[in-house]
Amino acid sequence: MILSSTNTLENKNIINYHGLVSGESLIGSNVYKDLFSGVRDVVGGRTSRYEEEIQKAREIALNSMKIKAEELGANAIIGLKISYNNLGGTMGNTILVTAYGTAIYYE
Amino acid sequence: MKLPDLNDPYTQKAALSIAIGTIAGLITYEVFLILGIDIFGWNLGLIFAPLVAGYVETIIAKELLNESTGAISALILFIVTVVWGFIIANSTLGFNLITAGSIVVILQAAMPILVNFILLGLILSVFYILGIFKKAADISFYKLRNLYYNFTGKSPTLRLKESIEYDDSITNIHINNLGVLFTSTTHLPGKIEEYMGIYEGKIIFRKDKNIISGDFKEQEQKLLIDLKKAKDQSLLNLSEAVKKDGCNGVVNLTIEYDLVGFGGDSFQVVASGTGVRLAMD
Repeated sequence: MILSSTNTLENKNIINYHGLVSGESLIGSNVYKDLFSGVRDVVGGRTSRYEEEIQKAREIALNSMKIKAEELGANAIIGLKISYNNLGGTMGNTILVTAYGTAIYYE
Repeated sequence: MKLPDLNDPYTQKAALSIAIGTIAGLITYEVFLILGIDIFGWNLGLIFAPLVAGYVETIIAKELLNESTGAISALILFIVTVVWGFIIANSTLGFNLITAGSIVVILQAAMPILVNFILLGLILSVFYILGIFKKAADISFYKLRNLYYNFTGKSPTLRLKESIEYDDSITNIHINNLGVLFTSTTHLPGKIEEYMGIYEGKIIFRKDKNIISGDFKEQEQKLLIDLKKAKDQSLLNLSEAVKKDGCNGVVNLTIEYDLVGFGGDSFQVVASGTGVRLAMD
């Protein structure tokens, strides 16, 4: 499965467009983790747990997108966009990770 | 609190000693300022002026009244020198955390109980703003609930059953079989016959505040499913809008999620793109 954020694939012939595929995942208000994240935001310092969580959430979103593309009979996703949206939450740490792209079949 | 009687000789004598103390302190501070006695630019008069004021006041009060007046002039001197020396005269220092803090410390020395209450209120409000109370309450509620279920051997009631039944791939296939080809790319080589303009499908939904299930994973799952449903709905709305104008494709499709509403209690999902008429195979 080729993932690409470009509009076309060089030297590949796109046979069929299957339509939109998307994946979402949420980093939510894990109380144990964010109890003192507010303090840490004020004091400063790296919140490495968040980085890990975001990485994980991104993987989940991309994977669910890939599965859907496979179900549609595609072998590549082009025009891929990944976005991170802050949805508020207790300390503004509910983050929605979305990935969507166009499922295609190429030769 | 009784107001002091100004005609009372005792009050007059006390006021006199306070005034003399204050004047002595001010003179001392002025001398220190003129002579420029300072360490690293920090004038020693700030320490010595209130000391002298308190000392002079106490001596005069002992002479006149045979008792101390509580060194009120020292307090006045403290406030005057801090406000004058730190904030007004020393413009580089200005009004910042440290000067404000020193004023608070002085006030605290003067009126301990009142200022302590104010400080307590400030600390509590900082805690409140950081949301620590709510989180602590949430955690304890969650813990207690789990303890209860462990103790009684019952399992927690799931209220989100119906909404959890959501199949990603089925809706995905459904979305792609609406008779409109959604693509996030900007062009479809050799397929586009006509560009029909910009279309958008939008949905706003309110955050469900009624879930008090306490299980944060559950709440998250519910929110995620709500968001997925909202995305599907916005795509449906978009497909209806483009079909109305005879389009059968959307290129350069973007989906945006936003927090809207009062206090951010609603979500907005917007799917927008360029409607096109595709050549039929």
